[in-house]
Amino acid sequence: MTELLQLPLFWASMTIAAFVGGQQIYRLSGNSPWLPPILSSVTLLVGVLLITGTPYSTYMQGGSLLHVMLGPVIVMLAVPLYQYLHTMRRHWRRIALAIACGSATTIAVAVALTYWWIGDIPLSRTIATKTITTPVAVAVSEQVGGLAAMASAFVIVTGILGGLMAPPLLKLARRDQPHTVGLTLGICAHAIGTSRALELGQQQAAYAALAMTLTATLHALLLPSLLPWLI
Amino acid sequence: MPGLLILLACLIAGHLLNFLFALPVPAAILGMLILLAVLIVLGKTPAVLQHTTATLSPLLPLFLIPVSTGIVTQGDIIAEYGPTLLAILIISLIPGILVCGWIMGKGKLHD
Repeated sequence: MTELLQLPLFWASMTIAAFVGGQQIYRLSGNSPWLPPILSSVTLLVGVLLITGTPYSTYMQGGSLLHVMLGPVIVMLAVPLYQYLHTMRRHWRRIALAIACGSATTIAVAVALTYWWIGDIPLSRTIATKTITTPVAVAVSEQVGGLAAMASAFVIVTGILGGLMAPPLLKLARRDQPHTVGLTLGICAHAIGTSRALELGQQQAAYAALAMTLTATLHALLLPSLLPWLI
Repeated sequence: MPGLLILLACLIAGHLLNFLFALPVPAAILGMLILLAVLIVLGKTPAVLQHTTATLSPLLPLFLIPVSTGIVTQGDIIAEYGPTLLAILIISLIPGILVCGWIMGKGKLHD
């Protein structure tokens, strides 16, 4: 049994099992936006790791077998993006404005609140990377003197929360056209939001992929020079 | 499989650009921009790529699970500031989402 817990293939299988389990929970809940497969899957897997007392580094020897596919899947997002390029080209000014103002608003509020309530500067700088897709967020947070390990946690929690909150909030505000929902998911919830957008439809996915890419690029370029000047 | 090979070729090209120019943009994003440029030049999506996309899209959340599970390594900070940080993440999303919705929904779209 102990040998099994050291086996990378076992953890790769557990990850797939958690994914299948998460999808079942999602289906049984009637596709509830409060139970996205990623949330249930991660909760199941964290539970197994805690019960078996397996360190994350041991798990990741198997987890990395699946993690390696994240790269090609992000590249793949160019396909839906290309298909909706013509529609988007007509209102690129509005899209650029939404990306710049939307991401600036959510980050400014998060940084200000962390600074006021907790008063920890490295933590405040780390939370500024919360809307950037994980690999960039870690790099940027190292650059600005933040906590790289915590950056990925903020990004993931933001992704899950954004995926949960954006569609119902936009519906409440009567702004739930497919392109608005997709763009907002990409800006506020990066890759996890984009995977949520893929469930909603191709148009949403295209806008989410566009927004995620542009937000990550914009923030990777601006944050390292802006942050030390702000806090 | 040829579709996956195209994706990997773009990803490797992205890594190459990343190394050569020390860009702060991640390789996968650069690879995506390279593929987008290729598709624009071709003027259509090749059938093999269409097939790969249809196969891989539903699996995207699976590939996010390993990195998301890293939350187990953040015990100390979560124990001390967890609820406060969660509240901050929730509150800060609301104005962000509404600003996006407001800008995108304002006036008429020409399409």
